[in-house]
Amino acid sequence: MPNSDRYLYAVGRISVMETRLVDSSKIERMVEAKDAEEALKVLAETEYAGHMADLGSVYEYEKILEAELRRVYLEVRKMMPSPEIISLFARKFDYHNLKVLIKAKYLQENRNELLVKDVGNIDLDVLMRAVSDEDFSDLPPLMREAAEEITEAFRLEVDPQLVDLRLDQAMYAEIFADLKALKIPFLTGYFTRFTDLTNIKTLLRIKRLGLDRRFLAQALLPAGEIEAERLLEQLDEPLELILDGLAHGPYAKVVEDGILTYQKTDTLTRYEKLADDYLIDYIKQAKHNKFGPEPIVGYLLAKENEIKIIRIIMVGKINQLPVEEIKERLRDVYV
Amino acid sequence: MEIRAKPTRMELNRLKGRLKMAKRGHKLLKDKRDELMRKFLELIKENKALREQVEAQLSSSFANFLLASAVMSGETLEEAIMYPKATVNVDVEMQNIMSIHVPKLIVTQREEERKNATPYGFANTSGELDSSIATLAGILPQLMRLAELEKAVFLLADEIDKTRRRVNALEHIMIPQLEATIKFISMKLDENERSALTRLMKIKDIVRGDESA
Repeated sequence: MPNSDRYLYAVGRISVMETRLVDSSKIERMVEAKDAEEALKVLAETEYAGHMADLGSVYEYEKILEAELRRVYLEVRKMMPSPEIISLFARKFDYHNLKVLIKAKYLQENRNELLVKDVGNIDLDVLMRAVSDEDFSDLPPLMREAAEEITEAFRLEVDPQLVDLRLDQAMYAEIFADLKALKIPFLTGYFTRFTDLTNIKTLLRIKRLGLDRRFLAQALLPAGEIEAERLLEQLDEPLELILDGLAHGPYAKVVEDGILTYQKTDTLTRYEKLADDYLIDYIKQAKHNKFGPEPIVGYLLAKENEIKIIRIIMVGKINQLPVEEIKERLRDVYV
Repeated sequence: MEIRAKPTRMELNRLKGRLKMAKRGHKLLKDKRDELMRKFLELIKENKALREQVEAQLSSSFANFLLASAVMSGETLEEAIMYPKATVNVDVEMQNIMSIHVPKLIVTQREEERKNATPYGFANTSGELDSSIATLAGILPQLMRLAELEKAVFLLADEIDKTRRRVNALEHIMIPQLEATIKFISMKLDENERSALTRLMKIKDIVRGDESA
């Protein structure tokens, strides 16, 4: 393979950084900590320590997580030989920012504190200008198309849900278009699995909310392995049939356990956890490929997963949730 | 204590009229108070039951929200709910309970919005947020009813307080005062009569003594 050594340096660095991920024994200690303060002390032994110096109280834990996420993205982006791969993952920040800006505009409020700075692909100023001038020509084509559609629809009636639905679809359409060009099976595999699992979850959620097919079609993400038509058809079917239909696919384990628990408890907590675990399990294989970009992506996702885990623990500790309830939600770790 | 009044027959009649009126008013107000009390207890009972119900649902909604906030990042969660989708019209009308005007809240919501209160997309939000928002949207009518009840209870309590004070004032001050005054005047009048009689008898004696002399 040509250029197969261009990732070598980055992968080498990543394997060092991987050793600094919060491991399961530390997670365990955080979960067992008697209060939020003590959990934070465990966190201070990790690479998060750097963000903890100017922390006022435990309630500002979100700031640590934010700072860490930003640091990881900036660092990985710097050392990644092909930054367009990181752009795939950073795209959610662009779309998040665009959603916030559009909604804020129609609310006539300033909600800039919700914007995610520095880590997106598109400069915040460009987005702000586009939204305030209603001129989206500087944005990527699919994003532009969606934004224009929303603006057009809002002339008649403002429906904030449309912003999220339309932009989510545009975002994944854009990601899959880029994936086609990149031709990295590992990444395509990841996003396909992600959209499939999300779509199944969306199906269940919309079924529970009692909404119709037309709505589900708007909420499903494009380009998963499971066709949208199949999911649409299943909306009116009982849970058992949905379960049967998916029981032989690759997601059998997630779906079976997740839906059975959902039937019993009426919450998708278990499904969400299993879906995340499934994805983490998938990216674990990345560690073994030393010549491609996989380990770098693996590290980035592992880091996002880790931040999620810490958030669950901190929210749990601050609100004094029982240990079992925290554990129920904890995702597996990458290392 | 009695009212300062001229001990005349006209005044006496006037006071007697007032006493009669006061006694009638007292009885009426007492009835009103009892009826208000009955209504009040009824409302309080309903209010308590409803409040417990609403609070249970609210706390379950908040618990779900908490769990949702555990699995979603702060910005994503805020973005998801920053722009509410459902709009609710509230009309206020007046209802008459024992001539007290209590508000009646009429909530109207568009059918499609009542069915779908989620203002966010489904790709990066948690299922736990759905339950939280759905519960919140579901208890809106109950919350409105609760507001209505609490205001009614408040107004009723105020009215009961006022009526009771009136009843007490009539019973313990007004009526005894009037009675005392009436007693005072009638005594005074009797006294006057007696003194007039004595005087007449005395004059008669004097006149008789003169004649016999």
